[in-house]
Amino acid sequence: NALTGSPGDCSPCPCPDHTTCVQVPETGDVVCTNCPKGVRCELCEDGFYGNPLGWGGTVQACVRCECNGNVDFNAVGVCDHMTGHCLKCLGHTTGDHCEKCRSGYYGNALANELNPERKCKPCACNIAGTSGSLNDCHPDTGNCDCLNHVTGRDCGQCEAGYFNLQPGVGCEMCNCNPIGSVS
Amino acid sequence: PRPGIGPLTPGSNLIFAQSGRIEHIPLEGNRMKREEARTLLHVPGKVVIAVAFDCMEQTVYWSDITQPAISRAKMEGGQTSVLVSRDLGSPEGIAIDHVSRNMYWTDSILDRIEVSRLDGSHRRILFEDDLINPRPIIADPANGLLYWADWNRDGPKIERSSLDGTRKVECIDPFSHVRRKLSEAVHYPFAIASHGRNLYYTDWIREAVVAVDRHDGTELQEFLPQRRSRTYGITITYPQCPAEVNYCSRN
Repeated sequence: NALTGSPGDCSPCPCPDHTTCVQVPETGDVVCTNCPKGVRCELCEDGFYGNPLGWGGTVQACVRCECNGNVDFNAVGVCDHMTGHCLKCLGHTTGDHCEKCRSGYYGNALANELNPERKCKPCACNIAGTSGSLNDCHPDTGNCDCLNHVTGRDCGQCEAGYFNLQPGVGCEMCNCNPIGSVS
Repeated sequence: PRPGIGPLTPGSNLIFAQSGRIEHIPLEGNRMKREEARTLLHVPGKVVIAVAFDCMEQTVYWSDITQPAISRAKMEGGQTSVLVSRDLGSPEGIAIDHVSRNMYWTDSILDRIEVSRLDGSHRRILFEDDLINPRPIIADPANGLLYWADWNRDGPKIERSSLDGTRKVECIDPFSHVRRKLSEAVHYPFAIASHGRNLYYTDWIREAVVAVDRHDGTELQEFLPQRRSRTYGITITYPQCPAEVNYCSRN
């Protein structure tokens, strides 16, 4: 306010790159009026993160949130405007940047794949051959925890030389007579 | 700092949300008086998405998605108050039934539609099934109806129910042929409001408010806010409520 006649009448605008500001008459709030496109001054615009005014820390310019293509561009509030953590990961992805598959799913959350549903697939372990939970598998390979002599990604088959997959037990040895068998 | 509300031009106004503020543009007939556009309300540190208006008490309602909340403030000035802040995920649409004195909102994280009195009390879930990305919602008290849309990628829809949540129907099948295309020249419309002969919508790519003729889709005016950033919810304010009643107002 240049009309009060004191030396501190005019203070520099607290805006990025010395851009212009105005003071709201009713509240005294200072609002930046010339923010760079895509960037808010008091707070990063939705979809961006940073700390443009250095509230409670150092000044950090607003940058676009990185969610590895696993958020919908039509959604609002996809990430935290201070930390940049992604809040609306799609296609069973999770993590601060939607960079990994959620528990119970496997695959590559960073795959170059337009449909996020195809990046992380459900573990869907075989009910008969799995020793642990049906929704618990290796996050990359999708391998489930198999019972003795059971194999396959989903623990759905017996190992070579074994047969009769029984729930909770596993597979039995074939016990073929070595003399009469061809394998 | 407490957010304050600026004085409003008498008559009808367009109000729309732009991150930490709600802007208003006076209307003269259907023309936007762009040179008289002003900030109605500053809410620093918030991302305001939905705006709604209660003509009875001349009050503006809005939603914030950063610390999810629904708030209101009288247009003539004064205190803002937070009405709902618990059990909210992403409130992206608000509707006011000025006759029955209820407000409705959509939540696209909790995937539901809720209703409460205008002060946030007597809160109740109206719908929580078959919702994926519900966003806009509007009340039609004269006919006792509530309309909302869901932009679910796998099945976008517009639905309707009675204001009490009964008689829910899908009213416009997006794949039907009963629709009429009004304009092809839209870029990325976010929210829309209707007034007289015109439609007004906010656009994410143009970062503008656009006025089009409701009958032939001709673009009439564009308003570019001083600060360039995304524009969100939009609604119309009137100096007086339209004269109408429904069974709830008499009961």
